Amino acid sequence: MAKGHISLGGQSAPRPETAPQTGGPSWDPLVRITHWAVAVAVLSNYLLNRAGGTWHVWVGWGLMAVLALRFAWGFIGPQEARFSSFLPNPFAALRHLGALLRNLGGQRSTMPEYPSHNPAGSMMIYALWAMLALVAITGLVMTGGASPVRLAQQQAIVESGDWSTLVQADEDGDDAGGRESGAWAKEVHEVAANLVVILALIHVAGVGLESRALGRNLVRPMLRKS
Amino acid sequence: MKQKRDIAGRRGPIALAAFVMLQSTAAVFFVGDALSDMLTDPSAPHSVFESLVALALTLGVVFGAWALRQTLEQMRAQAQALQVARGALAEAIEAQFALWGLTPAERDVALFALKGLDVAEIAALRGAAQGTVRVQLTHVYAKAGVSNRAQFAAWVVEDLLG
Repeated sequence: MAKGHISLGGQSAPRPETAPQTGGPSWDPLVRITHWAVAVAVLSNYLLNRAGGTWHVWVGWGLMAVLALRFAWGFIGPQEARFSSFLPNPFAALRHLGALLRNLGGQRSTMPEYPSHNPAGSMMIYALWAMLALVAITGLVMTGGASPVRLAQQQAIVESGDWSTLVQADEDGDDAGGRESGAWAKEVHEVAANLVVILALIHVAGVGLESRALGRNLVRPMLRKS
Repeated sequence: MKQKRDIAGRRGPIALAAFVMLQSTAAVFFVGDALSDMLTDPSAPHSVFESLVALALTLGVVFGAWALRQTLEQMRAQAQALQVARGALAEAIEAQFALWGLTPAERDVALFALKGLDVAEIAALRGAAQGTVRVQLTHVYAKAGVSNRAQFAAWVVEDLLG
């Protein structure tokens, strides 16, 4: 074939028309990056990092940053990333789950398409966000709001042989109220963290089922631009 | 060419998003540190300076996110415009083919020819003999009032140039 020959639509090689958009939203890079950053943070703090360790606190603060950024993006991001395009609606979520089950049950009804997350997915997202925020807040209560930088400084001081900061911290937490709130925070932190992991597992299962019902891979648009 | 453009267009926003995320992580750590300094000793010059830097970092994140959104919207608009332009050109070609009175088979062959396929390739794509394609192309040229493929292709260029 002629090289440099004139071609339609800027295609330099003969090939069929680009595949039509198969529907469904394509996620912007910030949504994709924050999604996987949260996943990595949850997995590493749940499975790898010692609870209360320096790494655990560092990752926790990183997670807070990612969440804060995603929440800001929910207001100023592109249409499909904005909260306004996937407001929580429990009834729509139940209807969607019903349609999903009917579809998987062999009834060849067409699954509805949504410009953003589907109603069931968005309920899951809000549940996960609520639990993650709870984990972050109780984590802050447990560490007295000390940033990892400060914790590292304290540790360095203690390691250098000066134990006075420890004594001071002990005195600070001596009043019964402080200790009680600490125990309460620890309890909530653990329960919420377990809930995050359980919700995440359901989320993964939901993505799998929805992908099957829609007949397209829903993980791919979260990995790269479609 | 198209491949390259796509990749460049894809990496720009990803780099920007990664940068915004790095910046927001730094901002949260710094703001947390500045806050605890503020609580212990609010009037120290160190605290004042730290809160200034914290404010600057936070504003940086906001502007970075805003720039990212502008970029994404611009890319979307461009993709749409390109789609429209492609559709418009295809429509113009279709209209011209109709004006020349090409048969459906001739239209297919003519379009393939415009896309730069040679006779053998067109024949393979259409599952037809090369002789058939050659005859159809001759008919196309005759109806278009041109004598060869170069002249036929020039018609599209002329249309593009307006």
